[in-house]
Amino acid sequence: MIRDLEKVRNIGISAHIDSGKTTLTERILFYTDRIHQINEVRGKDGTGAVMDSMELEKERGITIASAATYCEWDKHNINIIDTPGHVDFTVEVERSLRVLDGVVLILCSVSGVQSQSITVDQQMKRYQVPCIAFVNKCDRSGANPVKVSGQLRDKLGHNSVMMQLPIGLEDKHEGVIDLVAMKAYFFEGDNGENMVTKEIPEEYMDDALAAREEMLDAVSLFSEELTDYILEEKDIPEEVIMDAIRTGTIAREMTPVFLGSAYKNKAVQPLLNAVISYLPSPLDIENEAIDLDNNEEAVILESEFDKPTVALAFKLEDGQYGQLTYIRVYQGCINKGDTLINSRDGKKFKAGRLIRMHSSQMEDVEAIPAGHIGAMFGVDCASGDTFVSSKINYSMLAMHIMEPVISLSIKPKDNKAQINMSKALNRFTKEDPTFKTYVDHETGDTIIQGMGELHLEVYVERMKREYAAEVETGQPRVAYRETITRKALFNYTHKKQTGGAGQFGRVAGFLEPCDEEFEFVNKITGGRIPTQYIPACNQGFEACMDKGPKLEFPVTGIKVTLEDGAYHAVDSSEMAFKAAARGAFLEAYNKAKPVIKEPIMKVVIETPNEFQGACMGLINQRRGIIQGSQEEGVMSVIESQVPLSDMFGFSTVLRSGTQGKAQFTMEFSSYKQVPQSVAEDIAKKKLEEKKENK
Amino acid sequence: MLRKDLVIKSPVSKTIGIENIINGGFGAVISRAGVGKTGFLVQIALTQLLNDEKVLHVSLDDAMEKINLRYKEGYTNLIDYIGYVDPQKALRLWEDIKTNKVGISYNESSFDTGKIKDYLKSFKKADLILPSIIIIDGLNFDTDISAILEELDALNKEFSVSFWLSMQNHREEELCKDGYPIQLETYKELFEKAVLLQPIEDKIEAVILKDGDRTDQKALLNPANMMLVDEY
Repeated sequence: MIRDLEKVRNIGISAHIDSGKTTLTERILFYTDRIHQINEVRGKDGTGAVMDSMELEKERGITIASAATYCEWDKHNINIIDTPGHVDFTVEVERSLRVLDGVVLILCSVSGVQSQSITVDQQMKRYQVPCIAFVNKCDRSGANPVKVSGQLRDKLGHNSVMMQLPIGLEDKHEGVIDLVAMKAYFFEGDNGENMVTKEIPEEYMDDALAAREEMLDAVSLFSEELTDYILEEKDIPEEVIMDAIRTGTIAREMTPVFLGSAYKNKAVQPLLNAVISYLPSPLDIENEAIDLDNNEEAVILESEFDKPTVALAFKLEDGQYGQLTYIRVYQGCINKGDTLINSRDGKKFKAGRLIRMHSSQMEDVEAIPAGHIGAMFGVDCASGDTFVSSKINYSMLAMHIMEPVISLSIKPKDNKAQINMSKALNRFTKEDPTFKTYVDHETGDTIIQGMGELHLEVYVERMKREYAAEVETGQPRVAYRETITRKALFNYTHKKQTGGAGQFGRVAGFLEPCDEEFEFVNKITGGRIPTQYIPACNQGFEACMDKGPKLEFPVTGIKVTLEDGAYHAVDSSEMAFKAAARGAFLEAYNKAKPVIKEPIMKVVIETPNEFQGACMGLINQRRGIIQGSQEEGVMSVIESQVPLSDMFGFSTVLRSGTQGKAQFTMEFSSYKQVPQSVAEDIAKKKLEEKKENK
Repeated sequence: MLRKDLVIKSPVSKTIGIENIINGGFGAVISRAGVGKTGFLVQIALTQLLNDEKVLHVSLDDAMEKINLRYKEGYTNLIDYIGYVDPQKALRLWEDIKTNKVGISYNESSFDTGKIKDYLKSFKKADLILPSIIIIDGLNFDTDISAILEELDALNKEFSVSFWLSMQNHREEELCKDGYPIQLETYKELFEKAVLLQPIEDKIEAVILKDGDRTDQKALLNPANMMLVDEY
């Protein structure tokens, strides 16, 4: 691996589903000689793209797991993470962004900025990842890269600047004009591998000059030298322009926009040049960890090889040789045989086989130095763990992980499936923090939880294929919550004096709604409840949050204020105060007008214009609220908020209502109170379930 | 309480009259370009939202985001106009009413009343309350749109929903003999109500051109926020 970090790029490729992320990655690998034949995502050859190594990925034509790979371009090492576009797998995108230094944001030249592009953009903002944009599919009918660049500005607030102009669009798309070098690039050969540089065709010259002036105007903000050149009307050296673009991009103050068509092998090479020229090297990015031995103070990590090692495990995979852990090394260097510590549990382990990945194939390496992405075998850890050398005790900051919103009961078909299912669940929960599982003690069923129907569907399918675990699934269930809507007082005495040691504790105060999950405020004065019993009161109240008294859903958004109480010198104990708190909670809860809340999803439908009315109708029939609809060319985008409980089976309904021409994305938006009539239905169902279980 | 205050202070209550908004078939807000047709239409719609009614806003000019922005701005102007309001309360009310508004943005060339019909039908199918008014902003009255208006009239009859349309007139055009701009004159049978917005010095004068007893009533509006000037 290259030790000169100036020549390393860790990049991700992110976009809306079906924007061509995997196709682009496949072309990049081809042009950088990593693969010698191009396979299409849903190719007729039946091979599938190299980056989609999972059988299920090839079949469905979607990328499920991020495959990491690397390539070399212009003496630089580029580590690429191909991220899934479907929103149900958004945790994969989050993880990738956490360890990447830059992103190529792909946008479709016809559909422009789509809903998932917005989600990915928010994630990039959260992790402060610089990006360049690639407007793909310029060969498609209706392609308009200038419009897309405008959308990047209007919808996502990027300072987007066109770096290229297309030479022809739609079926006449031949190449691109580079506005920095003022040259035209054409792509010849069977797979566009020969990039031919020519003078700009005369008919494009005026447009190119105007666009270059606009570009220089935007870029000059980041370089005084460039401004001087412009003011003095001198010939501007390319390097001066490129330095200014690089400065603006790394500071996240501008987004250079490139264009082409990965599928038609147009303009991928200039994009690779841009990755090298404009996206940051590990040296350009400041990474922070927290020092667990020093009051969790933030520490800046340095990409130096002789410093103590700090690495983050960002993805786990269970392969034929055991668990494969993907890591990004931020500081120091991991050598084969080094002893490392997992800072989460303090366990020591020896770094065994180190590899770097090329999709599903691997290359053994002796060391993974700072700034690089690689993988190691035989480490028992969870995704998000930090590995450090023994001299330090740092932890990388936790990743933003969302709570699951949907659950499904699964039952193994036989004994063998039971054993395999446990193995599979054990692995999946380790790999994916948004996938959770538990056993419902009342029904004895195993419940899996995730971010959407497709998310769970894929795991059930993987159980079957990879672990031969045939399972029967129940109806998907929504993760309802309970909360209170007004303040209610409690004054409860727990008193028990029948045989054995007595129990006594009195607590008084009030419950009220709040924005936090749970808040406990102690306002006891004068020792009415001795200090040593206060934590017990807190625990007693908090324990009640797991199962709400109304319908046994988890309770959220409650603030408990403890104002008064009483104790007995002999009979009071922690247990007594815990019991008193439980009693008080039950006493006040019903007075506080409890309600049920349900997850509301942001649903975005993209449909041909003629089905717009029909699609809006489908949303209306599902208690959905349409926020708006926009015609964009021949397509309409409908944005809405719909309760998750009404979205089950929506893909089938949408397909049949639009002759299969519409698609939709769905992501969690917020929890909202369910209407009274629906709450009654939920209560009825819950009661029936209880009866059945008895 | 806040809802009521906002409705009372709305420029619509002093000009058209709240009770007149949904009382009938078609209304028009007429002005030259840039005077404030859309802003006034938004104020009409806001009074409906504040009365817990649904509103469908169809625009042939603005993108969906811009429609949403115009409503937010219109609401903020109204809140600012009535003086001090608890910001939390104002925000809660906005969150509450905004869900009753649907903004649809169409390309002028592909605008088709059939899509509105499909949408209205879906309300009936799902047994939902229909929007009380439909705002159509951006129809070009300088071209022959009689077919579109006939179709809208049919929707009005089928679904009992009121329509408010923007109508652009031009500086150089003279008024017709009964005082209507030519655009209104052509379709005057269809429109039961019409408000003309015209700049007078640094204000906007709202003149009721057509609305029974109210005809010829006038009010002055502040062009910055479309609120009544007389109040202050």
